[in-house]
Formats: sequence, structure tokens, C-alpha cells
Amino acid sequence: MNAWIQLENVHLARGGRPVLQGLTASLAGRAVGLVGANGSGKSTLIGALLGVLRAHRGDIRVLGLALPQKAREVRARTGVMAEQAGIFPGGSGVDAVTFAGMISGLSYREALRRAHRALDALEVGEERYRPTKGYSTGMRQRCKLAMSLVHHPEVLILDEPTVGLDPAGRTQLLSLIAELRDEGRLVLLSTHILQDAEAVCEELLLIEAGVVSYTGPVSRLVSPNAGQITAEGPNLDGELAAALGRAGLRVLDQHPGRIVFASQGDEDLRTFWRLVHERGLEVRGLGREVITLEEAVVELMETSNG
Amino acid sequence: MDSPGAAPTSFQVIRAITRRDLAIGSRRRLVRLLFLASILPPLVLTVIIVVRMMAETATGYDLDWDPVLEFLQFQTLPVAFLALALGTPGVARDRAEDVLFLYATRPVLPWHYALGKMLAVALPAAALMLLPGTLIAILRVGVTRQLETGPAIVMVIKLAVASIAMGWAYAGVSVGPSAATKRGRWALLIALGFFIVPDGLGKLVWGWDALPLGPKRSVDALLETIFDRIDLLGLFGFFVLMLYGGIGLLMTTLRVRKEMIP
Repeated sequence: MNAWIQLENVHLARGGRPVLQGLTASLAGRAVGLVGANGSGKSTLIGALLGVLRAHRGDIRVLGLALPQKAREVRARTGVMAEQAGIFPGGSGVDAVTFAGMISGLSYREALRRAHRALDALEVGEERYRPTKGYSTGMRQRCKLAMSLVHHPEVLILDEPTVGLDPAGRTQLLSLIAELRDEGRLVLLSTHILQDAEAVCEELLLIEAGVVSYTGPVSRLVSPNAGQITAEGPNLDGELAAALGRAGLRVLDQHPGRIVFASQGDEDLRTFWRLVHERGLEVRGLGREVITLEEAVVELMETSNG
Repeated sequence: MDSPGAAPTSFQVIRAITRRDLAIGSRRRLVRLLFLASILPPLVLTVIIVVRMMAETATGYDLDWDPVLEFLQFQTLPVAFLALALGTPGVARDRAEDVLFLYATRPVLPWHYALGKMLAVALPAAALMLLPGTLIAILRVGVTRQLETGPAIVMVIKLAVASIAMGWAYAGVSVGPSAATKRGRWALLIALGFFIVPDGLGKLVWGWDALPLGPKRSVDALLETIFDRIDLLGLFGFFVLMLYGGIGLLMTTLRVRKEMIP
């Protein structure tokens, strides 16, 4: 698949302070996680991707359309669920979603029809007819998601969609987002919660202080193949550790009866078993320590911060 | 939309914003009450015109009394209140609820938003002046036979110009202040100030013959020029009205442009 977000040496300053400093990335995944610490430039990047903020230098393209020149076209093809923005006030949920469709160019009748369909899909029942003022956080998030979906956008930009939700609501919303991704929508999920990104995204863009720290598949960071293997047995010793090292495996830790080594895949495991077998050793426990995205990202951030 | 994913036209966006604001406004009790107050004067005038015609027919006297100008000048007052009730909460509410960025995520430009909000005030305000005026013209042609069709059409065209200028100005003085604050009540207070302060200052400095500086006196001057005596005061009033509308549009556009940025 071609990259649907292309950033080429993007520089953008706000209030005289440089926020994005030479951002370069080419994102092609169906669901891309945008992660980074507070103030790293995530919201600024979203503003730039919608053409609301103008880069001082560099090129930004969404769906092949150059920004900010084609901002209205990009926005017509994009649905945004913004963390800092609420719901269009003064009416019910269905009013707000219908209006969101109308300002994207739908007729009233078509917008109303699609609003009901979007709210049905998000399992918003009769509450849709109540004034939005009294909505719970979960209902507000669903309504905001329906507003972003009503005009059937190709791209969904979701900014902290699970903030304030209870665990059940969060799981439900994440599975809805995953469904939308599987239906063929391109999703950019900006989040602090790395488990959310891990659950939904196949690609990650990690920004730190306005520069790209990591861009690439999530699987490269969290793949079990990149994990650590802990082997336990009564006579696993330094001699086996040395043999593993000679065979090209990286031994991370070694105590009498316990060896921890990095495994890049099944081949490494076969090597381990071969060496154990040759020495007639006994293995009583073998466990894989899967690296979570959170651990991987924290490690990346620590590495880049020196 | 023309094709899937194509950006909507400016007209579609502005119409959507105007339509929503009108729908929200029409649900408010105060707005309904003021709407009723705005259609009462035309009804009273209709009765007056019919009774007058019957009296003249019965007595054979020409009463030589034409209250149309007074009616139109009076009518601008309930319409002003209606405009204030419709216009002052709109932008302030959107700012308070932090939804201006939502507009920026859609194919909506700041001037689309500002014009949509202003038309939601200007259109009903203008209609509440123009429709009763047209009704009077029809009555004068068809019932009282005071006017020929030609002069009646001219009267309606003149009234349309005055109504549009008035609606535009009333929209400017109600929506503009709404963009300056997050509280509708403050916006109402500022907007009321536009109706009182400029003319008050004018009278203080130049006396009772002061130029019309506020929206209400400017409409009155324009109506006098159209229906009574042609003078430059009405033309000045017209420009003042257009200026109020223009400043309101500019203020709202600039404010919204600033707040649409996340």
C-alpha cells in the first residue's frame, strides 16, 4: 500500500518556539499510532495534517494531497475525533451528528440518515434524542466518533479517543476502531496510552521534541521474536552460556541454573536446544518474556535521551 | 457533494450553519416569544388599515392618516430584540464548548462560519420587516386601492433594501459581540450598548439633529428617506448599517480564525 501520510523535513514553530523540527516519515499502515510525550508535537502535527497549521518548511501530503493548499479536500475526506473539542452544542446527539454531516456537504436528509446509521453502529440507543449536555463521558466519546464517521471519510484521525473511559468502555471503543480499520478506513490514532496503540495499530510514529524517534511496524518493537528467553534447569551453567555466545546468540544474564538470552526467532531456539541436547543438560523451564509496546517505547525514549 | 470526497461548496457549508442556528434558536422560548411580538404589529396595522378604509367608505371623509412609516419604524424594535436573542448566544456558546476546532477539522473556513451565523440572524430579521411591508402593499393595492401596482412594487423593492440593510446590521451587532466573549449575557450587554451608546453620544455632542450613528436610528433614517422625505441622512444611515454588518463579520471571522487553531 502507498503511503497515505508523507512528511518531508517538516518544520513548524508556534509562538516563536520550534515544535516540529525536520519531521520526515512515510506512513502506509492501515492504522498508525502517533505517540510521544506531552509537548512532543502530536497535536501540532495533527493540526498540520489538516492544514489548520502551516509548516514553515517542508512538505506534507495526506492521501497524496499537498497541504495546506488542498486543506479543504483533505478535511472533506477526513473524520476527526478531537480530544480538546466537544460536541456541537445546543441540541441532541443526533442533531450534532447530522450537523457534522451537513457541514461536510451532505444534504439534511442524507446527513440525518447517515447520523442514525452511525449512531446505530456505535450502539447509541434512545440517548441520541437527549440533549448532549447530560451525556456521560462514554456517550460523549461515541457521539464524537459518530460525528467523525457520518460523512464516510477515508481517513480517521482520533486524538486520545479512550481518555476518561472505564475499562469496559475503552475495550469496546478500541474494538470499534479496529472494526473501522478492518472495513478499510485509514486510522491515525494519537494516544498516550500505548496499550491502545498496540491493540489497534500496525505502524507507529514516535515523536520526541518534534523529531521522529521511531517510525515503522509495531511488530518490530513488540514481536515475540524480539523477546528474551529465560531457560531454567539444575545444571545450566556458564559453559552453556559460552557455547550460546559462540553460536551467535546474545546472552543477557546468567546465573547457575538460569540463563537469559535474546532470541530473534525459531532458529535461535533450535540452536539452544541443539546445544542443550549435545551436552545432555536438563531444562525444566523455558519462558519467553514478551516486550510490550510500552516497554519498547520507553526503552527507545531512554536510548534517544542518552 | 459532487463526487465522493469532494469538498462541499461554500454555499452548502454556510447554509448548514445558518440552518442549524435557526433550528436551535427556534427551540428557545424567548425567541418564540419575540417572534410573536414581531408579528403582532403587522397584524394591528392590518386591522387599522381595514377599519380606516371602512370608516372612510361609511363617512365619505378622507382621514388623511397613513401610519405605515410609524409602523415600520416601530417594527424595527421587536425585530432588534429578536436579532439580539438569536445572535448573541451563538458564537459565545461555541467558544465556551470548545467546538471551534471541530469546524476547522471540516471543510469550513472562518468566513463560512461567521457568515453562516450572521445569516441566521439577518434572514429572519429582514423577513420580519419585508413580509409585513409586502402584505401592506398588497392590501393597499387590492383592498384600500390607495396604490397602483407599479408604485406598490417600487415600495416593496425599497423596503427590501431597507430590510436587508437592517438585518445585516442587526446581525453584525449581535454576532460580533458574541465572538468577543464566551458568555452570551455579556454579548447581549455589549450588543445593547451598540443600540444605545453611539446615538447617545451623537446627541450629546451634536444635539437632536445628530447624524444616525446607532443601528436603530440608522434604520429609522433610512425608512424616512424611502417613505417620507428623500435626504442624505437616509443614505448615511444605510452606510452605517452596512458598516455595522461588515465589522460584525470581520470581528467574528478574525476571532474564529484564531480559535480554530488547536
